[in-house]
Amino acid sequence: MSYPYNQFHFITLNLCKLFSSKDKTGLQVGKTNPDSDIFDLLKEDLNKGFRLVVERYSSKLYWHIRRLVILHEDADDALQNTFINAWRNISEFRSESSIYTWLYAIATNEALALINKRKRNSAVSLDDLGTYFANSQEGSSWFDGNEAQKKLQNAILQLPEKQRIVFNLKYFDEMPYEEMSGVLNTSVGALKASYHHAVKKIEDFIRNG
Amino acid sequence: MNELNDIPKNNPFKVPEKYFEEVNRKILSGTAGFDSGIQKIGIIRKLRPYLAVAASVALLVVLSYTAIHFFARSENRSEFPGITLSEYTDNYINDIDIISLEENAAETGLFREETGFNKNDIMDYLVLDNIDIYDIYEHF
Repeated sequence: MSYPYNQFHFITLNLCKLFSSKDKTGLQVGKTNPDSDIFDLLKEDLNKGFRLVVERYSSKLYWHIRRLVILHEDADDALQNTFINAWRNISEFRSESSIYTWLYAIATNEALALINKRKRNSAVSLDDLGTYFANSQEGSSWFDGNEAQKKLQNAILQLPEKQRIVFNLKYFDEMPYEEMSGVLNTSVGALKASYHHAVKKIEDFIRNG
Repeated sequence: MNELNDIPKNNPFKVPEKYFEEVNRKILSGTAGFDSGIQKIGIIRKLRPYLAVAASVALLVVLSYTAIHFFARSENRSEFPGITLSEYTDNYINDIDIISLEENAAETGLFREETGFNKNDIMDYLVLDNIDIYDIYEHF
């Protein structure tokens, strides 16, 4: 190939890439993505798109975090950190999954970080609600469940952290295993087994507790 | 799962009144609601494809001009710079013709010893007295 042809071909190729609509914000949309409206808005206006993300998912993420960390003040901190992290990384997000599972993954990590920090700072074992409420300023004012629900929450607190997450996502959020796999980066089979064992442990605790 | 089925699934945790409105406002004020930098980046990102096209076109123009200028210049290298045709005929042709004249004069015997004239003297006489070179040619 002669030199002028190579130059023309190179310039044309790069002009085509620049004109492609693939990457204005760094976001790519899958064909059957439930968050396609959010992605369209994020491409058009990043701020407006992120506002929609916050309005749509703040409640869901809060309750997911709250069930893990128990206390409202801790859940409030973790929720805000979750969205700050999401905002910082929004332009690098590649939506092979959905923004929903991506946010859940960030929220889960924030909750776990907070739990581990609390463990390091507290000499008391945090394995029931009473201990949590006794060790916080808010006390039990933000818990309104009956005795059975209190027993269930105590049973869940006995589980290892990851198993607790699996149980909460399946039992309370009714998240499909395929989505949960994206959140926790674990195989569907392992998640099913973990949930099955979690249910058995909780039932034994409630029966014998 | 009988024990679990007996427990109500409703949320036992509470939040302060209007908590979600407040927390959304707090989150947005620290992220998407914070204008510094994000809007400017958005405008630059929007203009980037057009700037890239403009830069490519400008580069093509510069390369074309350079190529044309380079090749055009190389064709003029054989010309004598800074001299008109009349100056050339007045100065260069006369010098060349004087040399030719000398050679011709040598062949015709003009500068033979028996004449007593030095050929340089003859040349000087011819040049200084503005003898027309063509008249001399015709003579010889």
